[in-house]
Amino acid sequence: MSLSFQEKSLWVMFVGLIAAFSFYFVTVLPSSAVNVMPDQVVYFVLAVIFLVVTQIVGNSVIAIMDRNTQTDERDRLIALKGMRNGGYVLATGVFLALCTALLTDGNFLFTHVLLGFWLFAHLVEIASRLFLYRRGA
Amino acid sequence: MMGTDAGHITNDIRTLRFHHDEMTQQELANRVGVTRQTINAIEGNKYSPSLEVAFRIARVFSVPLEQAFRYECE
Repeated sequence: MSLSFQEKSLWVMFVGLIAAFSFYFVTVLPSSAVNVMPDQVVYFVLAVIFLVVTQIVGNSVIAIMDRNTQTDERDRLIALKGMRNGGYVLATGVFLALCTALLTDGNFLFTHVLLGFWLFAHLVEIASRLFLYRRGA
Repeated sequence: MMGTDAGHITNDIRTLRFHHDEMTQQELANRVGVTRQTINAIEGNKYSPSLEVAFRIARVFSVPLEQAFRYECE
């Protein structure tokens, strides 16, 4: 099974997102705080830095191994379909986050419902694109 | 009365490549300006290209569009 540059890059992003935010959620979610604490913001920043570094390193390695980074109309169509699927999840998440903001005290739950759905939307988008690449389009 | 009939686009790209000195998918992709994976998906009838790409493929083989692609009704 030969993967294109775009597929490899998507796998790097998929694994990077899961690794970075698994660390964040496992660390932060057991907290029973009403509001987001400064140390939790530090964990978030660490997760983002980890994600950025893995993307830079991962994509650099892929680009060195596979010099054909060209994209075409099929890549753009697959990206659009993936973004559409992710958009449905994100819109649902924003609605649920707003409901959470109305029904709970503080910003902890609201923030993490929003962040969780943002992450889930990204994962759905990437998974959709990987699926479409394997199916053809 | 106009209606929609289910159909799909098929192609003879594999045969055309064979008759052009066994042109590789990568070579055709380079000449058309798409990726090899896209040529593979088109050949396998998994992806219907835009008109522009379809015309470019036909032009590479110097054949009319309808000799490279067909629309088959079911």
